Amino acid sequence: MIRLELTKLNTVQDAQSMLQTAIRVEFGTLPPYLYALYSIRPGMNAESRKLIKSVVLQEMIHMCLACNMLNALGGNPELLPQTYPGPLPGDIGPDGTPLTLHLYRFSTEAMAQAMAVEQPENPPNFPTGAVFETASTGAVTIGQFYHALDNFLASLPASAWQTGRNQIVDNQFFAGQLFAINNYAGAKNAIADIVSEGEGTKQGTTDDPLDFQGEVAHYYRFGEIYHNKVLTKSDNPLGYAWGPAELGVDWAGVYPAISDPSIHDFSKEPQEAQAAQNACNQAFSAMVDALQRAVTGEDGALGGAVQAMFRLRMAALHAFTVPLADHSHTAGPAFLYKSTQTGESV
Amino acid sequence: MSVLETPRIYFKGEVAWDPIVTNNFDTNYDETTGKTIYPSVVNRVKAFREQAIEEPGNWNPHGTHRAVLYETSVSGFDMGNGVNTDDPFVSAAVDFTAMLVDLEPYGTISSQLYFDAMRFGVDGGYRISAPRTSRVTARYINFARNSANKMIAGVASVVWQTSFAKTTGLRIDAFDSPLLQTLAGSIEQDDVLGLTVRFNTYRTIYYDNPDLTNGSLGAKAAAQALITKLKRGGFQPNPARSMVVGVVGLWRKLEPAYEPGDRVLIPATDSPIGSAYARLAKTTLTLDLSNSVPEVDKNLTKKDLGVLNVVAVDSAGQVVLNLGSFGYGEYNRAAYEMSAGIVSIPLAPGIAQSAVDSDLHLRDAAGTPLLEEMAVRAIPATPNLYLDEGEDVVTTFQAYIRGRLAASRVPVTLFQLGSGGTKLAEPRHLLTDSKGVLTLSLTKISEGITAYVPSLSSVDQPVNGINPQVSTYMYVRVRPGDAAVAALAPTWENVYSKVLANWSAMAPCMDNWLKLDDPVQIKAYASVLKRLTDPAQFENFSFMPVTRDLSAGERALLYNFLDSLDEGALGKPKTQKPLGPNFVELSRAMRRGSKE
Repeated sequence: MIRLELTKLNTVQDAQSMLQTAIRVEFGTLPPYLYALYSIRPGMNAESRKLIKSVVLQEMIHMCLACNMLNALGGNPELLPQTYPGPLPGDIGPDGTPLTLHLYRFSTEAMAQAMAVEQPENPPNFPTGAVFETASTGAVTIGQFYHALDNFLASLPASAWQTGRNQIVDNQFFAGQLFAINNYAGAKNAIADIVSEGEGTKQGTTDDPLDFQGEVAHYYRFGEIYHNKVLTKSDNPLGYAWGPAELGVDWAGVYPAISDPSIHDFSKEPQEAQAAQNACNQAFSAMVDALQRAVTGEDGALGGAVQAMFRLRMAALHAFTVPLADHSHTAGPAFLYKSTQTGESV
Repeated sequence: MSVLETPRIYFKGEVAWDPIVTNNFDTNYDETTGKTIYPSVVNRVKAFREQAIEEPGNWNPHGTHRAVLYETSVSGFDMGNGVNTDDPFVSAAVDFTAMLVDLEPYGTISSQLYFDAMRFGVDGGYRISAPRTSRVTARYINFARNSANKMIAGVASVVWQTSFAKTTGLRIDAFDSPLLQTLAGSIEQDDVLGLTVRFNTYRTIYYDNPDLTNGSLGAKAAAQALITKLKRGGFQPNPARSMVVGVVGLWRKLEPAYEPGDRVLIPATDSPIGSAYARLAKTTLTLDLSNSVPEVDKNLTKKDLGVLNVVAVDSAGQVVLNLGSFGYGEYNRAAYEMSAGIVSIPLAPGIAQSAVDSDLHLRDAAGTPLLEEMAVRAIPATPNLYLDEGEDVVTTFQAYIRGRLAASRVPVTLFQLGSGGTKLAEPRHLLTDSKGVLTLSLTKISEGITAYVPSLSSVDQPVNGINPQVSTYMYVRVRPGDAAVAALAPTWENVYSKVLANWSAMAPCMDNWLKLDDPVQIKAYASVLKRLTDPAQFENFSFMPVTRDLSAGERALLYNFLDSLDEGALGKPKTQKPLGPNFVELSRAMRRGSKE
């Protein structure tokens, strides 16, 4: 689960702050997922690749929807890249333990981490009202986090919402999945999408692994890879089981990439490896800056951001192929950000 | 037969279309040779891209050719007792991503969808998993579907169809779904080859604005805004989107995979509605009106034609039998979306047999004919065929009489048209074999695009070009041999200027995946390039170039270049009466719509 600190919401500014955290969370999950995705060797692990990519795309959509909500409430989204290893924004992880995210190549370790990020929780004895009545110092799931936000947003007057402010819609990308939020109804839909795609839906008190579209939710997609089993309908009381069909995971079908390249000393690595890192960091920084412009309303900037994403992808795919000095490892992108707005290089 | 028998499953939703349309214009692209028409400047690729952005009517220079169903799900089913929604498979998502490619890019009647698989439901759950047997083909484009939506091709609707063989990986995971259990049982029948998926796309909107009209200030402003955005840089696709209704049903032996093989009812003179397909069974007459009744506004209100009657007529056009009637409530928007435009009419006992050999007509309450059966059809085995110059092939048309295989010799007049509707040769008067098969040997055909149009009566001759509401047709695209290109030295300069520059100019989106002007990247991805351009991969979603216009000579040069690279350089470890409008003009007018 993505666990987040929840404090009592009293003002629109509180909600804006909460949404800003949500944006950071959605954005912060992307580098670990991308690191695992791009570390897969060409032609290998097609099903796993498809599943991870599908989650990545939905996390991007979630981030944009969170930005749309924040913009509709008059806030200004800020994309603040985090470093890896590092904590998820919100500082909380499974079972109350802060979750520190690492950049792992495609592996059981990477999938276990992803499952920890997306893990749903079924809190039947944790009614929504109680969440508001006392300022919580404990951890909550992303579902509860958004539920609390939803309840507060429902209480806002219509005048709190601004129509058409800096909205990112599906006219270019993500048909049917990205939509403008101009009022509470739109926000409610966005929250429902985000929660169910991450954690699944609930049937009474039972977690349903399918999201609102009938697709497998993120936690379970990663679970399928982790277990190398297709999540399958079953007669057991839970309704589903892992397998029996295998997904076709080949853990060896991956580049021998080191973990957490951001804490690796590249000064002793071959020049090509250093250049590959620089190219990745520059591409990542350019993407962040373009995305920042897009989520704050610059017309056409999303197209620039998407192009930058593709450049990051190309740079990352290349980096995974460049041998380090030990001749047995490579390194993927460290996702280190330095503003490209000022002309500084990474 | 076909999706018109039960069980059948309905779905509905929307589709996003993101084709590059730069090659729709003869100023940019020569569809005969498959070559880009560059401006005469030094940096011609850059100049071409800039020119393409400014091309009037070019609504998507940064397209990707992708077509994606979205918000599309199973909406209901019919197991012989009418439309039902009570099954756990209802609401299952439909997952389908394809590449939209026109064989004849200047026109609109040769579209195809290349894809790898179609999925209804979810892996591990209720599911129909359908790996591709063959591409989806568009036919029966209806230019008069919605005259309130006059924006580029927004007036039109199209029938799309493909079929999935049960021998090539088709899988139904039914669990406790009675619907899927029934379907899975049905496809086990010996004469069932698999499943057919047929869908109709309509109400296409452009620039994400349903209010635009060709030539309007709004349309001009939208086009200018796109140009501005494109000039500012970045990746700026501008997909169109349509509504979709569709149906999944049984594919039986000898039924055409790519287009309806049912009884075909074509528009009567001055009829406001488009062609329809019919199946006459013992107790039910099933009509597929998915492409027929027009909408009268942008809210998709169906035209109210009152009570419609299906009658059987004799050869003199006299009504011999009233088969049944249905009212507006059965073809209005709600009904259309619920059952994908399929209307079932119960028949009185014995009546069907009496109508088997009569023509079916659809008439309004005043008796005015709206649709009239065209009893004999000749359907191509390969509706859209690609050949390389010098390649010989034998292909066939199968004659059907009232939806059944012809069991005797059928006279066919075969027209041969150029892509612009010009008559390329005198019509040939031919005869099928005793099983209704017309065999056609295509030999020594020179480069270019040819349409073969079988005519079986006086009303289906392609006088003003192909009327896709009436005629069946086979398009053949012969790519040039380009022997001179093949003979060039395999240098980077040659391979770029003769091969890769074409793609790079026409498809700026390629920059996102592979910089075609970068020899380092081309070398690094040599093996991938060879795999994606391999003719054996032609049907695949990711085949390159997506436009399927790479000539044999160009491929030879490309491969000579790629093969000349040593392993180190690959970046790897060292190891008759006029039929009314001119259909060519109509087809191409849609390309020009926003130019006005």
